[in-house]
Amino acid sequence: MSDSKTLGELLARRGVSRRVFLKYASYTASLMALPPAMTTAMAQGLANARRQSVIWLSFQECTGCTESFTRSFSPTLEDLIFNFISLDYHHTLQAASGYAAEEARLAAMEENKGKYIVVVDGSVALKDDGIYSTIAGISNLQMLEETVADAFAVISVGTCAAFGGLPFANPNPTGAVPISEIVTDKPLINISGCPPIPEAMTGTISYVLSFGVIPELDHLGRPLAFFGETIHDRCYRRPFYERGMFAKSFDDQGARKGWCLFELGCKGPITYNACATQKWNGGVSFPIQSGHGCLGCSEPGFWDKGGLYKPLSAGIGTAGQYIAGAAAAGAAIGAASAALARHRKNKAMKEG
Amino acid sequence: MKLESIPVQVTGPASGVTNAILMEIAELLQQLAEKGVSGAINLRSLPLSEEDRTRLEDRLGHGEVSAQLDVAGTTEVWETSYPGVWWIRHRGGDGRIAAEEIAVTHVPEFLMSPKEDICAAAARINAEMHPTETSASEEEALHV
Repeated sequence: MSDSKTLGELLARRGVSRRVFLKYASYTASLMALPPAMTTAMAQGLANARRQSVIWLSFQECTGCTESFTRSFSPTLEDLIFNFISLDYHHTLQAASGYAAEEARLAAMEENKGKYIVVVDGSVALKDDGIYSTIAGISNLQMLEETVADAFAVISVGTCAAFGGLPFANPNPTGAVPISEIVTDKPLINISGCPPIPEAMTGTISYVLSFGVIPELDHLGRPLAFFGETIHDRCYRRPFYERGMFAKSFDDQGARKGWCLFELGCKGPITYNACATQKWNGGVSFPIQSGHGCLGCSEPGFWDKGGLYKPLSAGIGTAGQYIAGAAAAGAAIGAASAALARHRKNKAMKEG
Repeated sequence: MKLESIPVQVTGPASGVTNAILMEIAELLQQLAEKGVSGAINLRSLPLSEEDRTRLEDRLGHGEVSAQLDVAGTTEVWETSYPGVWWIRHRGGDGRIAAEEIAVTHVPEFLMSPKEDICAAAARINAEMHPTETSASEEEALHV
């Protein structure tokens, strides 16, 4: 539960100095490319904030988002976030079960009315009254509506919650929808990815906690600090793309020399995420650095874009068939298909 | 004779990024000198390669002051050979660089004791020196 003491007071009782806030703020400001001058204000904001009550709802998901949130942290700077939030409800992590677990959720809602943050991973099944995914005898839809009613803000983590993800993929047997379809009257932040980059989740929560407002978002509701550029924009293999040096298969000379993976289906040019800069597993690597193209997992409908190994120049989705035909006829399509891809992504979201 | 023992280091021309950072540092330093205004450059947000970072570090050099802080992992702070230009390197739990910045200021905020901690320290040392008074006042507080 939330504590009436500030985070500064709570950590002081454990012998931790205020410098820790300054360091954490520097770290977060660095992650989010905030001006260094904001570090002091952020540190002050954090020190004066109360522990943020967080209710984490897991619906149609694989728990990969929770794995990402919890597993990638080394036990010092990066896990400070767990001192800053009070995770009052989380199926996988909480000790309580059954009625006790549900009582904890209701108690947190009552105690922190209007102030708690709801984090959701997974999409919500709507078909057949949502019977395909239930918790404690109620559908995901009921639980979501009940829980967000008095929330301060909602954060959809993972592509399933943000855009429907795999449950939403054709033929979508459960009638899955993203959270944005249901939550329309609360501040909503999408942190997409399959799973999302852990720093994108913790950085966003820290920002909200420090400044009491949500960070600047893109047209899909994602924090611009992490989703402002494409993977391609910041890819270290980009110079090979510019020179037209492409790997043609996963074991040819080009692949061995680290050339661009565009022709092997890399979706980096249409994928907005921070993998190329934040990387994974403590900054070790990211898919392209490991020799595989980007799947575009942080974009809407990534699973239905017509083949993970088809190059973007062959088009995506249904329209891709026509583009591929045009390519066979000798048309120059590179730039046009990229523009079409963006158009279709926007259209997909509107239709979603 | 081994290569390492030759006291001459061959270096290539500075990259564009390094030059750009040096120019920004020069401007910030000028501001500090003339108006007393501090500034900082977040190195992590820049497309710095390892070579660029090393080149920049070598170019700025080390000055008279260096410190190591143990706050949620290690933080290394040193004044470069240009007084007022400080390099701050925060490391995460596994020792990797979590954040890094160049601060152009008189003394980095990190090195100063935070006001709240000073107040807490004053109360603590007072309690340690006058244990009876403190426990008596605590008892009184409990009965209020």
